[in-house]
Amino acid sequence: MDKILEVKKLKIAFRTNSGALKAVRDVSFDLERGRTLAIVGESGSGKSVTSRAIMGILAGNAIVEGGEIFYDGKDLMRISEEEMHRLRGDKISMIFQDPLSSLNPIVKIGKQITEAMLLKNKTSRREARREFKTILESLNENMILALGNGEKSRIDAMTKTFDKLCIKGTQLENDYNNAEAKAQEISSLIADFLFRVEKKAGVSVANMRSEAVRGLRRMRNPLLTGAFNAKLDEHADEINRLTKNTEMLKVSKVFEACRNTLEAILSQTRPDFVAIGYYLMKKPGTNVEQMKIEELNRAAAEQLENEFMTEFSRCTVKALEYSANRSLEKKKAILPVLEEAKAFYEAEFSKKDGLSYAKKLIKKVEDSIDRMELVKDSAAYTFRTSITNSIEKYYKFLRSNPKEEARFARQTAKRKRLVDKGKHVTWKVVPKNVYDLEELRDGVALVVVRLIERYEAYIKSFSAIDFNHRAKEMVDLLRDKASQVVYRVTKTMAKEKAIKLMEEVGIHEPRIRYYQYPFEFSGGMRQRIVIAIALAANPDILICDEPTTALDVTIQAQILELIQDLKKKRNLSVIFITHDLGVVANIADDIAVMYAGKIVEYGTAEDIFYDPRHPYTWALLSSMPDLDTKEKLDAIPGTPPNMVYPPVGDAFADRNKYAMKIDFEQQPPMFDISSTHRAATWLLHPSAPKVETPKGITDRIARMNAKMEARNENGGAQA
Amino acid sequence: MTNENRQEVLLKVDHLSQYFKSNKAVDDVSFDIKRGEVFGLVGESGCGKTTTGRSIIRIYDITGGSIYFNGHRICAGLLEYENAIREARKELKETSDPERKGQLKKLIDMNRAEIKRAKHDHKYSDRDYADELVKKVKAKYEEDVKKANGDSEKLSKLNKNYRDDLRVARKTRLITKIQMIFQDPVASLNPRMTVQEIISEGLVINGIKDKEYIQEKVYEILELVGLTRDHAGRYPHEFSGGQKQRIGIARSVIMKPDMIIADEPVSALDVSIQAQVINLLNELRESLGLTILFIAHDLSVVKYFSDRIGVMYYGKMVELASSDELFKHPLHPYTKSLLSSIPLPDPRSERVRVREKYNPLQAHDYTVNKPSMREILPGHFVMCNDEEFKAYQKEIKEAE
Repeated sequence: MDKILEVKKLKIAFRTNSGALKAVRDVSFDLERGRTLAIVGESGSGKSVTSRAIMGILAGNAIVEGGEIFYDGKDLMRISEEEMHRLRGDKISMIFQDPLSSLNPIVKIGKQITEAMLLKNKTSRREARREFKTILESLNENMILALGNGEKSRIDAMTKTFDKLCIKGTQLENDYNNAEAKAQEISSLIADFLFRVEKKAGVSVANMRSEAVRGLRRMRNPLLTGAFNAKLDEHADEINRLTKNTEMLKVSKVFEACRNTLEAILSQTRPDFVAIGYYLMKKPGTNVEQMKIEELNRAAAEQLENEFMTEFSRCTVKALEYSANRSLEKKKAILPVLEEAKAFYEAEFSKKDGLSYAKKLIKKVEDSIDRMELVKDSAAYTFRTSITNSIEKYYKFLRSNPKEEARFARQTAKRKRLVDKGKHVTWKVVPKNVYDLEELRDGVALVVVRLIERYEAYIKSFSAIDFNHRAKEMVDLLRDKASQVVYRVTKTMAKEKAIKLMEEVGIHEPRIRYYQYPFEFSGGMRQRIVIAIALAANPDILICDEPTTALDVTIQAQILELIQDLKKKRNLSVIFITHDLGVVANIADDIAVMYAGKIVEYGTAEDIFYDPRHPYTWALLSSMPDLDTKEKLDAIPGTPPNMVYPPVGDAFADRNKYAMKIDFEQQPPMFDISSTHRAATWLLHPSAPKVETPKGITDRIARMNAKMEARNENGGAQA
Repeated sequence: MTNENRQEVLLKVDHLSQYFKSNKAVDDVSFDIKRGEVFGLVGESGCGKTTTGRSIIRIYDITGGSIYFNGHRICAGLLEYENAIREARKELKETSDPERKGQLKKLIDMNRAEIKRAKHDHKYSDRDYADELVKKVKAKYEEDVKKANGDSEKLSKLNKNYRDDLRVARKTRLITKIQMIFQDPVASLNPRMTVQEIISEGLVINGIKDKEYIQEKVYEILELVGLTRDHAGRYPHEFSGGQKQRIGIARSVIMKPDMIIADEPVSALDVSIQAQVINLLNELRESLGLTILFIAHDLSVVKYFSDRIGVMYYGKMVELASSDELFKHPLHPYTKSLLSSIPLPDPRSERVRVREKYNPLQAHDYTVNKPSMREILPGHFVMCNDEEFKAYQKEIKEAE
């Protein structure tokens, strides 16, 4: 399983009037691709703050005290706002709890859904072109280095062909896309028209006729194989014959038939543009219209494979191998240098020395990165920003800390003096903004240490790399980028996509709803719109912050199904924040239970529900009734602690009836229960007294097991 | 609560309809709530469950039907009478039979009288109730005066008490015997009033002027709902969500209501606090003998808390049964779909759960045979037509 997101030792506080409120205290977790992580906890436990940190939308008074969030070779806590802006909503999307405040009240729903699609399309095309170029260039460079300078002319020719190929392919694709967009547009026009006919609203046959005929004539495209072009002409002629005196039934029939053809075109297999481009380059003037699309695809792909692709892939493998080997050598060579650096940063150093040393180091580290690697190594890629930032931060606070302390002391003394004099003091002492210098200094060395760890792991796992597979991925990526360059989203396409999305999230009559304002929707409907907007951008990671809390059960179930479904379809990774354990059981693969800014228990859904270990998890499970609960509920007494003054020991100790003396004095570490399951409670310490899981929970688990067995038996009998 | 009391109907909702222009928020809903029971009302948002609750405490003027509380008609709508008159008029125009005409005219007059009565009941049920109380107080005073036998000291004390009692009696409203707890504890408490003022407001409005008495009462209630005396002088923002909801409960309990309408009292609260509030409501219900109309969409909570449950769908009551019965034999397809979508804290069963979908157009064919509430088993009502009635009966037999 590859990790798509890693959160490491995240610490966040908020400056408030009464002091720094520690919202997140040392939270670490990994999110794997295609899995759902649920974060459970009550309000104030820091679950929303964690997710907001990932999105980069923390409130202005937030202080990030430490920690990293790695995503795609970047540390989200340290990248610039500009870079974050590119990720936000595009790669990482979020659904908020309150659908009221997340929609713009004066913009129509349709526009709000399509806005992101249109904007994103523009930038992604530009970016894809740039990336395509850089990757191809460095590939070419590595090929030459790998195969020797003698082969240079051959290799240059090959990359040139590949570039040409992609361009030819993308041109074809562009034309085809335009035709497809036209088809979509006409199809949607006809759908609107038929809808109005059905609702007996006024329609103009003449307008519709001219629009449709014009569109159909423009749609002709050589790659619309399988005699679709002829069929389109037929439809155009037929539509042309309609007049306003034609019977409405016949009109709808003709349009219906036309629409069916268009839908057939839209749903047919897309041509393999790159291959067909090559095919046409080699055999110019071939008439491909009469061939079936699958046939054409196969023939073209075969030719491409035989004449060009095999050789190109071979060279790519060589290039990748070469680049990886070179990087391996460099990494091996840099390890002792890094060890030295570690020693250097652990000792005293001045700011100037530190920075100049870092500059030298950065050059070496960046040189050692394997640029041909697809999965980016986050520690190496972020090394530059991490190390300079941490050094600068250390010196900044080294200077400002004593000033802060002095100011704080001065103000407190002044306030005390005034109070002693018996004056009425209305102002408060501004809480001090100081950092733990020790920690900041360790942070500098930590950057190096983490890089060393990474490199050691890399060297160990080097022999297991499958370069053939990698080369295939590389070629796929290049093709993907090329096709992204030409994928132009028109307004009509965006509208159709939006309407499809609206249908997907369960909004009736989306064609009417598309033109309405948010106030015309009920709360549940608004939430669906918000989800549609979040999904429109096709994100990698979806963060759901209590998306169903404001909805009722049936809609909640629908939305959860929707999220599950999309997750499977798009291999989405989901972070799901909620306090409803039923919802968690439905959606989660992994669960993190949070309390007072810390993860107190972490495990798979089975671990948490069938073998809970932390008293807080017990309390959560037993405080809500299920359908068989009859006895009095086990409410958790009291309220969560005030995080301005976080407790010294276990934060849950005050409300915990199993609390021991040590719980009030020392924070429990994470104890591993199994490879997937861990919990932070002293009860798991080997010398702790044995505490049984509360009876309510064991009973419930027994009930669940019995139910499951009964179901299995039934299933067996039926099978 | 004895069994006998349980049989007594406290609130009777009779063909209640509440339209907002053309939007039929509640359409012809009938149910009884017996004294001392908890009646749960569930359904998705927009199905009219909150509107039903609000109609009962007369936040809206209802469109049709009537609501009886403790035998008094407290709400009355005019819809059915108006409809009857309109139809009679229509027929009157078409018919030429003099005998039928006479009948129709009589019918119209009768309905007009009904409208008058309904309007009177709707507007003056509180005054009538207060009048009754005043009469009682007066009778008691006269009796006492006779007993006092001209003792001047006793008389003066009596007079003073009489004046207080009379004022309270005049100001008493029948509707204050029904109290409401709102969903959002933050929005439902006035931030500019202290807890003491919030809780005692009802008493003050009711004409009680004895400050010490009010103070004592507030302390008593605060302790009842699990807060302390110190809390009386504080403002709402100084409390957590669960405590605010406790204040809301205290405010409704101090009026010694017979009935409480709890409109999603726990859904805005944190998990660990929800259980505290549910436990509190349960205790109060036992100690004060409250009747509760519990409106919620969290079905596990409703199941845990209620004796009987009514399921609403788009303004109509579709199924009504005791809570165990409803969860054991759900009959109406909407109920089934609702029950199948409850998320349970059990990952293995969640993964294989199949949600039943409900589409009223596919599920029922009501073009010929109109549906009505019918009793399938004693106490178990379902909205169905003749065919479905038979099918449901068969289904329930098979289930047993």
